Amino acid sequence: MTNGPPADKNGNETGKKARFPSLAPVHSLLAGWTGLALWLLLLLLLALYPYTGVSSLALLVGSQIFVLVTLASNWNLIGGMTGYVDFGHAVFFGVGAYIMAILVTGAPLLISPQWGFWQALPASGAAAALFALLIGLPTLRLKGPYFSIAMLGTLVAMREIVRVSRPITGGGIGLNLPPVLNRIGDYYLMLAIMGLVVSLIWWIQRSEFGQSLIAIREDEVGAEMRGINTTLHKIAAFMIAAFFTGVVGGFWAWQNTFIDPDGVFVETRTVEMVMMSMLGGLGTVWGPPLGAVAIYLLQNLLWSNLFEWHLLALGLLLVLIVLFMPEGILGTLGDRSSTSLGRLLARFGRNR
Amino acid sequence: MRQFLSYFTLLLAGSLLLTSCGLAPPAPVDEPETAAAGADAEKVIYLGAAVSETGKYSREGKDTRQGYGLWLDWVNNEYGGVQIDGERYRVELIMYDDEGDPDTAARLVEKLISEDQVDFLLGPYSSSLTQSTSAIAEKYGKIMIEGNGAAEPLFERGFRNLFAVLTPAGNYTRSALQLLAEQGAKSVVIAYEDTAFPTSVAEGAQRWAAEYGLEVLGVETYPVNVADVSGIMSKFKELEPDIFVGGGHFNDAVLFIRSAKELDFNPKAMVITVGPSNPTLIEEVGADAEYVIGPTQWEASMSYADDYLGTAAEYAARYQDMWGEPPTYQAAESTATALALHLAIEQAGSLDTDAVRTALRNLDVVTFYGPISFDEKGRNAAKPMGAIQIQNGEILVVAPTHAAVAELNYPAPAWKDR
Amino acid sequence: MDQLSQALVSGLLLGGFYAIMVLGFSVIWGVMGVINLAHGEFLMIGAYLAWGLFRFFGIDPFASLALILPLMFLVGYLLQITLINRIVERPHLMTLLVTFGVSIALANLAKIVFTSDPRNVAVAYSGSFQFAGVTFPIVKTIIFAAALLIMGGLHLFLQRSRLGKSIRAAAQNKTAARIVGVDINRVYAITAGICIALTAAAGAMLSPTQAIFPFMGPPFTLKAVTITALGGLGRIPGALMGGLVLGVTEIFVATYVAGIGTNLGVATSFILLVLILVVRPQGLMGGLRPVDAEAD
Repeated sequence: MTNGPPADKNGNETGKKARFPSLAPVHSLLAGWTGLALWLLLLLLLALYPYTGVSSLALLVGSQIFVLVTLASNWNLIGGMTGYVDFGHAVFFGVGAYIMAILVTGAPLLISPQWGFWQALPASGAAAALFALLIGLPTLRLKGPYFSIAMLGTLVAMREIVRVSRPITGGGIGLNLPPVLNRIGDYYLMLAIMGLVVSLIWWIQRSEFGQSLIAIREDEVGAEMRGINTTLHKIAAFMIAAFFTGVVGGFWAWQNTFIDPDGVFVETRTVEMVMMSMLGGLGTVWGPPLGAVAIYLLQNLLWSNLFEWHLLALGLLLVLIVLFMPEGILGTLGDRSSTSLGRLLARFGRNR
Repeated sequence: MRQFLSYFTLLLAGSLLLTSCGLAPPAPVDEPETAAAGADAEKVIYLGAAVSETGKYSREGKDTRQGYGLWLDWVNNEYGGVQIDGERYRVELIMYDDEGDPDTAARLVEKLISEDQVDFLLGPYSSSLTQSTSAIAEKYGKIMIEGNGAAEPLFERGFRNLFAVLTPAGNYTRSALQLLAEQGAKSVVIAYEDTAFPTSVAEGAQRWAAEYGLEVLGVETYPVNVADVSGIMSKFKELEPDIFVGGGHFNDAVLFIRSAKELDFNPKAMVITVGPSNPTLIEEVGADAEYVIGPTQWEASMSYADDYLGTAAEYAARYQDMWGEPPTYQAAESTATALALHLAIEQAGSLDTDAVRTALRNLDVVTFYGPISFDEKGRNAAKPMGAIQIQNGEILVVAPTHAAVAELNYPAPAWKDR
Repeated sequence: MDQLSQALVSGLLLGGFYAIMVLGFSVIWGVMGVINLAHGEFLMIGAYLAWGLFRFFGIDPFASLALILPLMFLVGYLLQITLINRIVERPHLMTLLVTFGVSIALANLAKIVFTSDPRNVAVAYSGSFQFAGVTFPIVKTIIFAAALLIMGGLHLFLQRSRLGKSIRAAAQNKTAARIVGVDINRVYAITAGICIALTAAAGAMLSPTQAIFPFMGPPFTLKAVTITALGGLGRIPGALMGGLVLGVTEIFVATYVAGIGTNLGVATSFILLVLILVVRPQGLMGGLRPVDAEAD
């Protein structure tokens, strides 16, 4: 199972690429301290952004983008770096959202007293991580598409389980959270979570842990033989990804003030995460955030210009992205001769 | 290194540019075509609404938009603008497409309030979108008046700024059950989709069944997008009830009728929440839709009237004229929503939120859509729900009595004898 | 007792439909290792075609199969040579995403073409007959018979005909098949054609029993995954067994659990999927293996 690791393509045959200089050196620099420094700088700028007197709408949009970036980065940890294509990752989002809603409303479970948001938020993540442990132990033994399908099944099964557990979850009716809206607070909270997650991914990628994950992706049997405890590594990566996805789910439930099974356990949310990671560059640190922003903009662009046709266009676009730039934006920029789009561009270049 | 720096600057600049584009507001759709001439001197009321044009609610969203649109056209071009203190105010309605997606809906309502600075909000289509967007309106102290979210939990949150002109979901089956009980029905079974709105309908149905002395023999739920209800139907068949009550989406209406016939389940009356009042059901299901009873918020044949849009029939004609199709009740309740706000503003004599809220609370009028008067929770408690029955391929009102145009056919013959 | 036999009949009839519905999905997965997430959308297209032929030309949905099968064979064939053949041997992430993209595009295309107003085919013979004290729905009984007939035919085709043998060869060992001169791409295209046609036929037969709408596909795709896990890949007896087991399970849970039975039935089908994959990744009938070997 190899999804072209674009992060460290150092074999740049420079002679061939006079016309299209490689970005590979950029990648290795970005993967290092420079990348982190620039990321922290960006975070600082984003933290100052509200001081420029922006509207609450801009803050809301900001927090929505941060949610997408965080989700894409989380998915990338298990799907991109470890190579386990999780097609049901939204299940952790849903678990987090429900734990948040149940704890803060207290109503269905009659938990008394009700929890505050700040206690419930880490609990959302912890519950999702625990769920990841339970579901991951059996499913992470599965290979290739079987893991993907098992996770997709988990997502749908959880949706139906939540639906029938009305005494605890409110069933299909959903749960109303207290309508406390704090746009500026949401913005900074999501900024902090996003900053933490992406920095964590940056750190993991440089650490021995991250190298082991990549080794598992490239050749799991080989990694095992080299003495890597693959089960432990996979479970750990899975739980970390689930934890933050759960936190984001809890945050989302709080911000949206209303959740129901069909609103949080959604297949399309998973596919969104996959699309964003893939468009940006699977297994890279900066690809998924870039992809998330790109998809968000693309969706808005399509939506405001094509109306009725925009989802059709989105579907076709997904097909085109997979066919022509499976290595993502970063990969395609980085090593043009080895990617479909790169070759296509190169051909056009020659024809002209 | 220099090469790297230039690349990186490019990348950073690019992403910042992209981000700022993302923060730019989405293009509005369906902006009113009112003349801009002499706009400076003119007084304007700004209304905002996020209503689905695409996505899962696109069909009902279209009805909602057209309902709002009809009132807008009438108030500006025919009525001459909303009258406040002897002055005429032109109305501008800013509508966006929420795609049926909660994130988009939240963003658009936020935009309507904080950037477009509308004076009042009109509701979206669907109970679940009304749930999340009304919380934003409440937070900012903006009045949201709606006609397309009937689920009871909406009104249990103690919101001061949410008003709904439609009959709340709990009362949907009331007049149908009352009429059937009068005709001698004794027992009822209920199947409903376990989402907010059908659940409220079903809980209400159980309440009203008890009220009218009907025995509830069985209650079953089913999930969204169910493809087979044989289990429910064969269970109900054993119970031999007089009345079957089914609640959910339009698709479920088709499924219920088909399954009942396939399993030879013969209740004396089938009451189905969503579907029967829509002519499409007769078109698609054909003769098997006969005798089916459905609640309706409004029908063009009802005998309500007001001084503004005339009788219900005149409203329907006007709608047909403007949009080229007959109005559904979703369209009528949307028009009534806007009209109720209009009347409250005129009674308040100002655009001040507190004054208009008080006026809404005290509002007590009869419109082409029926009586409108809000209770302390913001629901329109005054309006009874109608009931229709499909007879000879026509949708005819059978209840309440003062609006009825036909007698109820009860009991329905068994499938074999049709 | 009465209720028991009724539940059994309803379950078997539902299972027969599931079997014919899943066949195309299972064979595509088995032969080329592609998990077709657009499966339900082809079913939806078949249903709309049957509806259109019925509404505008008065053709009975079962008679319309004569038109729908060849038409959708062509669609499947073309889709395979233009799109799917490009990704067959790529990582499965790509096939999942591409077929998901196709499913979004098709559902939304259908919404634009047919609007989201639900449709239904009102055949004159909808209704029921009594046999041995059990009520048999006429349309569903015909679907069951047609499903058995089609599956029998396909089984013979795969076992006996030269083309069928090439398809099985390609499924078992691609490299070897290539060596002995099988044109893999052509075999794949024909397989896809057959599978898409079958799926559309299932949709067409479904059209008189429930509402047809653009977004009806995904639940069927998910069911197809479960049944395939139950019955194994690309095996006709497996599809039949898996379909029947799921159909009977769903109806029994729906009948014997009060109140939330139907909900629980749907939940059960997905819980089963996860359990089977976890406990017996090779599928209950041992047919999931061939793909595993070449999944990477």
